[in-house]
Amino acid sequence: MDFMKSLFVAASGLKAQSGRMRVIAENIANADSTARTPAGDPYRRKIPTFETVFDTKMRANMVELGRIEKDRTDFNLRFNPSHPAANADGFVKMPNVDRLVEAVDMREAQRSYEANLNVITSTRTMLARTLEILRA
Amino acid sequence: MDFMGLSVFSALKNKMQWHQARQGVLSENIANAATPGYLSLDIKAPGSGGLRGVRMAETASFATFVTDPRHIPVALAPTPGFGGPQRTGSFEVTPDGNSVVLEEQMSKIAENQMDYEAATSLYTSNLGLIRTAMGQNR
Repeated sequence: MDFMKSLFVAASGLKAQSGRMRVIAENIANADSTARTPAGDPYRRKIPTFETVFDTKMRANMVELGRIEKDRTDFNLRFNPSHPAANADGFVKMPNVDRLVEAVDMREAQRSYEANLNVITSTRTMLARTLEILRA
Repeated sequence: MDFMGLSVFSALKNKMQWHQARQGVLSENIANAATPGYLSLDIKAPGSGGLRGVRMAETASFATFVTDPRHIPVALAPTPGFGGPQRTGSFEVTPDGNSVVLEEQMSKIAENQMDYEAATSLYTSNLGLIRTAMGQNR
């Protein structure tokens, strides 16, 4: 039934967006995770990717969280000679996480999640209306 | 009397099936709102021929044998074909090739839901008419 299909597709969207939220949470939580030694690298930002997957059972285009890629941009350098991970010039490699970018990404994930929830609500209303035909 | 063959009911049934199919396509769009390269789809509205003019899919229709004139013939009507989802024009395409605009899709979902509810209430009121004719609705 098509309504069930709608519900499952929207549920796959919810799952993908919550996975994206998890990745964003990891990035924000690790925004200050530096290495312990000057040779080590700090936390590298993760990027969630999405892909369309055709579900043969439901015969619909579901969405799935694809591979979680690493952000290859350079680390930020901060002058802090007292830090254990500071190099000879006194700079510490900080994670390449930009909190502003993460905040915007988070808001986008939230909006997408709400849109999928709206689809579920709307589909449920339509299903309920169909059942009301029986009751009338 | 073939009750489901009444033109009002079959037209409303087709309309409801069309809205169901459309709801499925729209929910795919919204789920894939962030997938790179995904182009938004929609199902074409039935043409000016109205919903009774919906092209029937090429499916075999089954019917029961009638061996006595008092038998009621029962036939399984072919399902309407809506000609699959098609790509639609969109307000914008993002640099990663995604053409889903959430606002546009939300308004389509709302429109679809309202039309579907209109169809179901029409169906209900037509059932009421038949009930009245049968004299059970006093």
